[in-house]
Amino acid sequence: MRAQLPRRVLLSLVLRLLFLKPVVTGSCSGDDQELLRQLQHQVDFMKDSSRLLDPYMHIQGLDVPGLKEHCQERPGVFPRENALHELSRRGFLQTLNAKLGHVLHRLTILQQNLPKVQDFGTVKRYIYGIRNNIYCLAQLLPGSSETAEPTQAGTEDSPPPPPASDTFQSKLQGCQFLRGYHRFMHSVGRVFHKWRESPSRSRSRRHSPHRALRKGAHRMQPSMRGKRLMPRGQLSQ
Amino acid sequence: MPPPEKKKYPCKMLTLQTWTVQALFVFLSTESLGELLDPCGYINPESPVVQLGSNFTAVCVLKEKCMDYFHVNANYIFWKTNHVTIPHEQYTVINRTASSVTFRDISLLNIQLTCNIRTFGQIDQNVYGIRIISGLPPEKPKNLSCIVKEGEKMTCQWDPGRETYLETNFTLKSEWATEKFDDCKTKRDNPTSCTVDYSPVYFVNIEVWVEAENALGKVASDHINFDPIDKVKPFPPHNLSVSNSEELSSILKLTWINSSIKSFMKLKYDIQYRTKDASTWSQIPPEDTASTRSSFTVQDLKPFTEYVFRIRCMKEDGKGFWSDWSAEESGITYEDRPSKAPSFWYKMEPSHTHGCRPVQLIWKTLPRFEANGKILDYEVTLKRWKSPLQNYTVNDTKLTVNLTNDRYIATLTARNLVGKSDASVLTIPAYDFQAARPVTDLKAFPKDNMLWVEWTAPNESINKYILEWCVLSDKSPCVPDWQQEDGNVHRTYLRGNLAESKCYLITVTPVYDSGPGSPQSIKAYLKQAPPSKGPTVRTKKVGKNEAVLEWDQLPVDVQNGFIRNYTIFYKTNIGNETAVNVDSSHTEYTLSSLTSDTLYMVRMAAYTDEGGMDGPEFTFTTPKFAQGEIEAIVVPVCLAFLLTTLLGVLFCFNKRDLIKKHIWPNVPDPSKSHIAQWSPHTPPRHNFNSKDQIYSDGNFTDVSVVEIEANDKKPFPEDPKSLDLFKKEKISTEGHSSGIGGSSCMSSSRPSISSSDENESAQNTSSTVQYSTVVHSGYRHQVPSVQVFSRSESTQPLLDSEERPEELQLVDNVDGSDVILPRQQYFKQNCSQHETSPDVSQFERSKQVSSVNDEDFVRLKQQQISDHISQSYGSGQMKMFQEVSAADAFGPGTEGQVERFETVGMEAVIDEGMPKSYLPQTVRRGGYMPQ
Repeated sequence: MRAQLPRRVLLSLVLRLLFLKPVVTGSCSGDDQELLRQLQHQVDFMKDSSRLLDPYMHIQGLDVPGLKEHCQERPGVFPRENALHELSRRGFLQTLNAKLGHVLHRLTILQQNLPKVQDFGTVKRYIYGIRNNIYCLAQLLPGSSETAEPTQAGTEDSPPPPPASDTFQSKLQGCQFLRGYHRFMHSVGRVFHKWRESPSRSRSRRHSPHRALRKGAHRMQPSMRGKRLMPRGQLSQ
Repeated sequence: MPPPEKKKYPCKMLTLQTWTVQALFVFLSTESLGELLDPCGYINPESPVVQLGSNFTAVCVLKEKCMDYFHVNANYIFWKTNHVTIPHEQYTVINRTASSVTFRDISLLNIQLTCNIRTFGQIDQNVYGIRIISGLPPEKPKNLSCIVKEGEKMTCQWDPGRETYLETNFTLKSEWATEKFDDCKTKRDNPTSCTVDYSPVYFVNIEVWVEAENALGKVASDHINFDPIDKVKPFPPHNLSVSNSEELSSILKLTWINSSIKSFMKLKYDIQYRTKDASTWSQIPPEDTASTRSSFTVQDLKPFTEYVFRIRCMKEDGKGFWSDWSAEESGITYEDRPSKAPSFWYKMEPSHTHGCRPVQLIWKTLPRFEANGKILDYEVTLKRWKSPLQNYTVNDTKLTVNLTNDRYIATLTARNLVGKSDASVLTIPAYDFQAARPVTDLKAFPKDNMLWVEWTAPNESINKYILEWCVLSDKSPCVPDWQQEDGNVHRTYLRGNLAESKCYLITVTPVYDSGPGSPQSIKAYLKQAPPSKGPTVRTKKVGKNEAVLEWDQLPVDVQNGFIRNYTIFYKTNIGNETAVNVDSSHTEYTLSSLTSDTLYMVRMAAYTDEGGMDGPEFTFTTPKFAQGEIEAIVVPVCLAFLLTTLLGVLFCFNKRDLIKKHIWPNVPDPSKSHIAQWSPHTPPRHNFNSKDQIYSDGNFTDVSVVEIEANDKKPFPEDPKSLDLFKKEKISTEGHSSGIGGSSCMSSSRPSISSSDENESAQNTSSTVQYSTVVHSGYRHQVPSVQVFSRSESTQPLLDSEERPEELQLVDNVDGSDVILPRQQYFKQNCSQHETSPDVSQFERSKQVSSVNDEDFVRLKQQQISDHISQSYGSGQMKMFQEVSAADAFGPGTEGQVERFETVGMEAVIDEGMPKSYLPQTVRRGGYMPQ
């Protein structure tokens, strides 16, 4: 995707996605279940460490005993799974969208340092796709009736540390970041999986995404009928 | 470095001057051209593109300067399209400077439109020209669809709609909800599909549509929105392998490697298989392969059979496209024991000795699907009543054994790696077994390119049937092939490599518990064809109006089918061809109603069910007469001739005396002649010195006259003239004298008056008496003008007068000066038919006869001459014959004769002076009367 999109455009996209102000050009299609299924597939694709971490460790020489053990997720970079479960659907989507923005930023840096790792480009394209689906799923959420929620999932989350000046430390930080990313996507997948559970169980929850999405979609139907789905600009209310 | 700078500045100055000149030239040229090319007006619109079928109006506006210069206005404007003036009805003068023209329902795609003015009343001036392009706006593209081939970028295609006749651009547009992708511009050579530049991102819906745009409009297709994962055509599974199981001979296990798309989507599979020799594929039930996997076990396969497999995959939910088929891979199931007993039969060997008979047991190899493995060997057992079993292990498919005349039971089993087949049992009957109970209603017919045999089974329990067949040929012996059928079968086809156009002799033998039944045979063709060559027809008998044709039956090698009938074609040179159909059982045919003495061309064709073939053409000619017709004419004629001849002979016999009197008159026998009695007083020397003396004396006592009627058909001339002719005739035939004539040559200087017929007559009688009678005296009523000489060569004793040499000398010594030589010369001259021996000179010489002769010497010479004549007689005769023939053939000889005739004529003239009554009137004609 980098080859197709100018860097300036990419940067603009990243910034806008970071602040949930995407460049809306088209319309969203499909229902919530379809979006959830797609998100589930995307997240499953992303949680696989062979997509990023393994190639990175191999290239950086970190896939050797003694070093491999040091490549552990640094706490606070990505939200924990239980924190994600506690978030409202809108808050979860906002958090996920924000974290993916961080990942894109970090991957861009890694990609500049490791241009031979083509998986970075592939992962970045899929992250764009995830954020597109998040946007569309957010379109289906109820609008103003929802209570605003924090965009960060818990106070333990912290922004990614600045790149270390030390080379080895920089490699290790990259490794830790990617490991945390895979773990984070795994947790996101579980959240989505829960969202896709049976309606009976979903109904018992206060913030059943499925129910909420369906409700939101139902609300939006009259205004959408016969015309193009207009973007709202951001998910948060 | 001063010098280089000095050089550098002049160069710069030169370049500057050059640029200045060029710029000035361009400026002036542009100004001039601008004035020259400044049009007198313009047309609005400048480059119109008009929709086909629509109306179009163009306006031509003249410039004031031009109007003033040419003294024209808008009324002077006229329009042309493609150099043809447009009717003024289409013009509209808007104002003084502008005129428009309107076209309705434009149908031409390309129109050249010019605005013109007529200056000075006669000069047409072109003001401005434009080109009107016509076409249609693009239609809305339809049937937009996209495919994402694994490893490639997304490609979409669509139906562009109608032809626009204009340059139309198609653009494939795609976007997410949050992102717009670059447009995909179609290439000129492929405006109906486009491949995007970006790699697909699965699980994100993308919106795609196509925009078509040309000068007349822009239109977009319907938008389609899809997840690219639902448009994937994956790579086929690779590294397909097939393995068997020793435990189960009916399964094969397939393993493969899925493509990397498996990480994005679940797959389902399509597995197909077939035996190696088959052409159609069998399919594994789809429900068994509806989930992602990398192996599959195929069951219910045949043992020891090679199967070929292939596999493809697609997204599990059926969205997207099937992959291509994988590479085919084959595997062989494990062996199993033979599933069927081999076909088993026997043949009796021809040589049979007392109490022992060689029998060849034969069997067929099991087909692969029944052998269920590689047949290692065959086990044969022979069992005779109360005798121990004889076991044989054979690798071949035949076994020759010597059996007694007893009944045997043979069994056969085939063995492979896993086990033995069931036993095939065959009863070999005793030597004196009489086969019976054959099948009935045996039929053979081709169907579906196979030769089928059908029969009716006897009403008894039958173990099996043996079918044998071979190709009938005149060139090679019948080598039978065979096959076995179960006892409940009554129709089957021959499982062999049968050839078309070959005659097969098929034999069906039922096999009972007690032994084989009587065989039944039938001939059949897998497929008939016209004969390779036609029959050669020939005639057996040709009559005046009919011909019997015959031919040989065609050899079976060239028949190529059952000969159904023959057709005989025959025609004459000028007639139409006639065809006659003849049944195939015939080998001859009679053509009737033919025309006699006519050439006929006949050929013959033989026909099978598939067509015919002509044989070589044969020609014959009918005779002019029928057989016996000539005989019927000739025999009666001959009989009539014979009868006539017989009657003539009888008549002659009855009238022989009369005939003899006329043809063969009695010749007096000189020995019985009484001349010796009445002429002894005759002087020995006839000294005729002159005719006057002779005639004056009137004494004919010295003349012996023999009257011979030489030819009954030639009556004697009565007048001198006739006589003259008669003489000529005689002279002309002088050379023909032979035999007697030869003697006359020798004995007389005068030519003998005797024809060849006479000579023949004389020769016929020479066996008894040879006569040479020279009649030179008066004949009949004539008086001889010269001395008469007579001599006989008869074997009878000579007369006394002939015995006297004096009388010979009387002639021989005519030339007294030369006694011997003249005699020889005379002989030569006379034999060579010397023409220069006129009678007159002879006559004159006879006057000079010398009276002094040496008598002894003359006798000796006469004897020598006589010997010489007898030796040269034959040659002299032949020589004379040849000369006469030449004389008859060529003129000069005739002329010579004519000269002689003249001489004789002179002699005849001399004779005319003689009295005509010099012969006694009492002499009887044809008779001989002594004087």
